[in-house]
Amino acid sequence: MRDVSFDIQRGEIFGLVGESGSGKSTVVQAILRTLTPPAIITGGEILLSGKDILSMSHREVLQFRWQEISIVMQSALNALNPVLSIHKQISDVLYTHRGLSKDQADKRIRELFDLVDISYDRLDSFPHELSGGMRQRVVLAIALALMPPVIIMDEPTTALDVIVERDILFKVLELRKKLGFTILFITHDLNLLLEFADRLAVMLNGQVIETGDVAQIGSGGQHAYTKKLIGALPSAGGKRKKDLLPQPKSLNFGEKPLLEVQSLNKDFVLSGFLRPKLLHAVKDVSFEVFPGEIVGLVGESGSGKSTIARLIARLIPPTSGAIRLDGVNILKSERTTASLEYRQKVQMIFQDPFGSLNSVHTVFHHLARPLIRHRLVPKSDLYKYIIDILESVELSPGALFADKFPHEMSGGERQRVAIARVLSLQPEIIVADEPTSMLDVSIRLDILKILANLRIKKNVAILFITHDLASARYLADRIIVLQKGSQVEHGYSEALIQAPQHMYTKQLIAAASPGWLSSKISDCK
Amino acid sequence: MTNSIKYLLRRLGFYTIAAWAALTLNFFIPRLMPGDPASIIFARFRGKLKPEAMDALREVFGLTDGPLIEQYLTYLKHLLQGELGISIAYFPQPVGSIISTALLWTIFLAGLSLVISFAIGTLLGTIIAWKRGGKLDSFLPPALAFFGAFPYFWLAMVFLFVFGFGLGWFPIRHAYGDMVTPGFNLAFIMDALYHAFLPALTMILVSIGGWMLSMRNTMITTLGADYISFAYAKGLSSRKIMVKYAARNAILPNFTGFGMALGFILSGALLTEIIFSYPGQGYLLLEAVRAQDFPLMQGLFMTITLAVLGANWLVDIAILFLDPRTRR
Amino acid sequence: MATRFNDSVLVRWVKGILGNRKALTGSLLVILFVAIALIGPYFTYDPTAFLGTPISPPSFDHWFGTTGQGQDVLAQTISGARQTLLIGFCTGFFVILIGALIGGISGYYGGRVDDILSMLINVFLVMPGLPLMVILASWLPPGPLTLIGVLVLTGWAWNARVIRSQMMSYRGRDFVSAAIVSGERNIRIILIEIMPRMLSLLASSFIGASIYAIGAQVGLEFLGLGDVSAITWGTNLYWASNDLALLTGSWWTFVPTGLSIALVSFGLTLVNFGIDEVTNPRLISERKWRKHLPKSRLNNGITPVVRNND
Repeated sequence: MRDVSFDIQRGEIFGLVGESGSGKSTVVQAILRTLTPPAIITGGEILLSGKDILSMSHREVLQFRWQEISIVMQSALNALNPVLSIHKQISDVLYTHRGLSKDQADKRIRELFDLVDISYDRLDSFPHELSGGMRQRVVLAIALALMPPVIIMDEPTTALDVIVERDILFKVLELRKKLGFTILFITHDLNLLLEFADRLAVMLNGQVIETGDVAQIGSGGQHAYTKKLIGALPSAGGKRKKDLLPQPKSLNFGEKPLLEVQSLNKDFVLSGFLRPKLLHAVKDVSFEVFPGEIVGLVGESGSGKSTIARLIARLIPPTSGAIRLDGVNILKSERTTASLEYRQKVQMIFQDPFGSLNSVHTVFHHLARPLIRHRLVPKSDLYKYIIDILESVELSPGALFADKFPHEMSGGERQRVAIARVLSLQPEIIVADEPTSMLDVSIRLDILKILANLRIKKNVAILFITHDLASARYLADRIIVLQKGSQVEHGYSEALIQAPQHMYTKQLIAAASPGWLSSKISDCK
Repeated sequence: MTNSIKYLLRRLGFYTIAAWAALTLNFFIPRLMPGDPASIIFARFRGKLKPEAMDALREVFGLTDGPLIEQYLTYLKHLLQGELGISIAYFPQPVGSIISTALLWTIFLAGLSLVISFAIGTLLGTIIAWKRGGKLDSFLPPALAFFGAFPYFWLAMVFLFVFGFGLGWFPIRHAYGDMVTPGFNLAFIMDALYHAFLPALTMILVSIGGWMLSMRNTMITTLGADYISFAYAKGLSSRKIMVKYAARNAILPNFTGFGMALGFILSGALLTEIIFSYPGQGYLLLEAVRAQDFPLMQGLFMTITLAVLGANWLVDIAILFLDPRTRR
Repeated sequence: MATRFNDSVLVRWVKGILGNRKALTGSLLVILFVAIALIGPYFTYDPTAFLGTPISPPSFDHWFGTTGQGQDVLAQTISGARQTLLIGFCTGFFVILIGALIGGISGYYGGRVDDILSMLINVFLVMPGLPLMVILASWLPPGPLTLIGVLVLTGWAWNARVIRSQMMSYRGRDFVSAAIVSGERNIRIILIEIMPRMLSLLASSFIGASIYAIGAQVGLEFLGLGDVSAITWGTNLYWASNDLALLTGSWWTFVPTGLSIALVSFGLTLVNFGIDEVTNPRLISERKWRKHLPKSRLNNGITPVVRNND
């Protein structure tokens, strides 16, 4: 982190935006002086109400923490001590800083629970017994315990579903209005901040490259990087941005579907010794994908979309239903193991670019193995074929990348390798399971462009699975919306976005469109 | 809480299966060896044992002429009744009574050493992990690892030689001297501790390195967790974080390791006893081997196995109390 | 197929390990003893010959003195290394083989297979080793094969369990799913994709198993269950004890052997420490960079502020 400066006014909501590696989390830890060795602070001042945190004594720092400034961390489960009850984790701040008696502490905790809407019977629960949303509210309650003037929120909702995320943010804003604290909000999601922040700072590679108020930044700001961040965000509602992604000449994909899923069901047995519980992950789902078509499967976590991906890729067997490829029900014709032919025609791209590559092997190995297995290319032509494929996904020079190991590449490069691997087998359909969720915002569009181009050039169908309605809107021809394992709506992308029929679809669109905050406020009225 | 009871019962069920497996193994081993077990025994003790004794021996082993299944069931029946047969080395004492006194001494010595070793080792590991990079951290782990590399009994020999024979500071054998009467009186207890000192010291020195290292490693891993930085951010004091947040979590995997290491530690205890002529299971085992006393050997195998399984179950109970995640 | 042979998995891994100070020291120690075991016996007296006066302390003629029977202790210590180390490493090897086989299959295939094999592993794990070993060894004819067999039978379960859990964790990862989707056969996935990532685990398991084997072997032989006519470290101690070393004060009959055992085990342990540190760099003692900071500012959970003018 170098030369970072910004100031926050009392009572405002200040946003700090940056992608991974930008240094935004480091700033937070520096403010609280909780950076772990071997980090040291080598210069500067951090002033809170005139007092410099960096020149405080040991005891002063301990007092300062939590009373003057508290923090809500990203993953609530990780922030909570698994072996202590919720009650104890709130009360220890109360005992340490305020020296309250047990009764006083109890009273205070109940007040806090009221503020964040948790019922008292959860007092003695342990973190693992609560749901994700509840845990986040507990962490919020702890942050409010001493009513500090400043609260830092470090990516508090990144891991949550869009609708839950909006609910929690709304709650936070409500509380702020009531209690009047200042918020420093850290996130990589610029869209979010444009809704409710007052001023913003953008960080890149450990430095602050731009600061300004929301209107300024929202219209593109001054720095090229800011412009790039703004431009990379398609939204789910409102007018369609023209020419964001390359489109095919016609939307007529023929009469015969390439892939047909019929009444697909998948149940998981949860551990339970005498009476095992069933989780119905996929309930009676049916749809078709035509050759060269891109179909978007949209849903939140728990919607079953990833399960469907794994079912079609034949990583897990379905509980019932049919999967037809080119008209043949492969669950009948190749019941126990998928045939080599199937494995060539149906390919998959995974969510985590690093996880889907094997860290001990080179890019060349990753691409060569499947080709050798399927005997698609004679050994003599192997090297050239691989170089060509790499260059076709913009990994140039191919020869340089062929020798690299996964850890020597960036996230975007790794995902491109995954696409190359999939491409090399010349499949008929690619199942892309959230291919951009773990990538930085600024490169997501690049990957989507590659997929769009692929479809046009090679006429390969894509089943695009995502929770991000906006990217589905632009990439996919048709969209299917899933909720808790069932289909709730489907239709052509733009038509669905402009005129959604089902309540859930409407909610999703609203949550991902600008103006969700004001619409929520008006909902409450 | 019924979830916890279900969990404990499930573990008990597992231990029962393990015990059954051990029993069955015990039954089959003599029968799998080349030669007929009956004739081996007879050959060894011909002339030394009266015919009735021979018959009794046969009974215990189920070495009757019936089909295998019948022999097996007889064998199980005897075991469940506590009938372990008659010792050959200590003829005509029944195996059961010989073992029971020895068992107490072993539990006393091994239990004492284990608890002290675990407690001190864990404490040291916590302190070392806390003061990362201190002088202790560079000196203790290799030093204790070196001690841990010695075979238990060898270190026992050295201590016995130096402190027992050489300097005469400690007694060189047995669990208590001739001058005290057994019972719950202070003199006896003090004498027992005096006699147990060297063997316990040996066992503690050899095993402490392992506990310390494993606690250090789990602490280091735990200290990297988010809830620790969150605890710091809350302004809690270092000491409180070390105890309530870090150590409390880090000790859990060590407890599970504790259970699994019990069998291993017991082996070390047995060998140490032999050197010190301490009248525990180990000493008996040696006698049994020397005298080819099969009933005694098999009886010892049974009791030791059951003791270890029982101790494992106790550890499971302890973990239930310490880790709320197992109570789901 | 890898175009960068110098960076093949094995080579990179070995380089990484040898770069670690502890691992290097430990390896040298072990190699020293292996060398002594292989070459040493050619340079010493015949360990079985009754050469000198019994129980004489170290002298110019007999550097480590003589045993209760008048045999040269140095010769016995050096000769003993061969069999002990051989059996130790062989056992280690077989333990890993069986452990990897059972643990690997159990972890990879899951389901019914895993249920059965897991139960098997757990049962063997929980049974106490020494008594079982004693019983087996006393029924079986004494000798190296018995020892290896007994040691492997009692020792395989620990490693199997560790390997199984590592295998299970890899099995669920995306790179395995990706390999499956691209049509790779299961055996190939296990051998070419997963095993290379388990190198550290397999190496440290082998070392751990060898340490265990050496110790247990010595223990059994000490009890008289090995072949007492053979020259091994364990039988050396058996005879020393039998010849009443403690009573006669002839410490030289058991100290050299014990020290040798300790040094080899310690060396192996060091290598394992090194492997741990390479796999989890956080374990490395932070001595080096801490030297640069004033003592008072460490370890209280507060980031130190060191300005350029301090």
